[in-house]
Amino acid sequence: MKRILVPLLIALVSASAAHAAKPDIEAGKQKSAPCQACHSADGNADIDPQYPRLAGQYRDYLAQALREYKKGNRTNLIMAGFVAPLSDQDIEDLAAYFASLPGGKLVDLHDRVQGD
Amino acid sequence: MTRALLLAAIGLSFASLPCAAAEKGDAAAGKTKAYTCHGCHGITGWKNPYPNYHVPKIGGQHYEYLVAALTEYRNGERAHPTMQAQGESLSDADIRDIAAYLSSLTP
Repeated sequence: MKRILVPLLIALVSASAAHAAKPDIEAGKQKSAPCQACHSADGNADIDPQYPRLAGQYRDYLAQALREYKKGNRTNLIMAGFVAPLSDQDIEDLAAYFASLPGGKLVDLHDRVQGD
Repeated sequence: MTRALLLAAIGLSFASLPCAAAEKGDAAAGKTKAYTCHGCHGITGWKNPYPNYHVPKIGGQHYEYLVAALTEYRNGERAHPTMQAQGESLSDADIRDIAAYLSSLTP
């Protein structure tokens, strides 16, 4: 009985892991052309400062932001249009790609409290 | 003469309108007002719980975007309880000052 249960459990666990969207930077690059019109090819959005810099931002934050635009937890007409056709996999890939871009100008506020 | 004056007046009113709207914040004042932001955005790798994801890097972000994002949190157009509460405590001038400070930071 145990001998059957263990492989079954292993199979189940690996099946569910494979199901979760695994971020693919290269695939994200292929899908990023529409994003570049506003956020630029380097992800720094120096074309128009009303759009945020994405290069070097945390991957999981970028994915969260895209999901929020999709669910309507963030209302933005432009982004709503772009995220509507995106799958979970697309979102993970795009987030991974922009997070991976070098030359990002974003910083956290660590050590910038006072007197620096 | 009247026509010239009228045109000048129209020109002036147009010139002053966008200027008033785009009055940029004060980075020095923003540095003090951004003190609370450090609680989450000042700890490298800090995560938001439920759902679990990194609190974003906001230093060096574009001024215009930061003003828009903070205003959207304040207006409830972005759903995030902590950021909405922060936004509600800020005036338009506070938002512009904080955005001016944050956008001035470099890696």
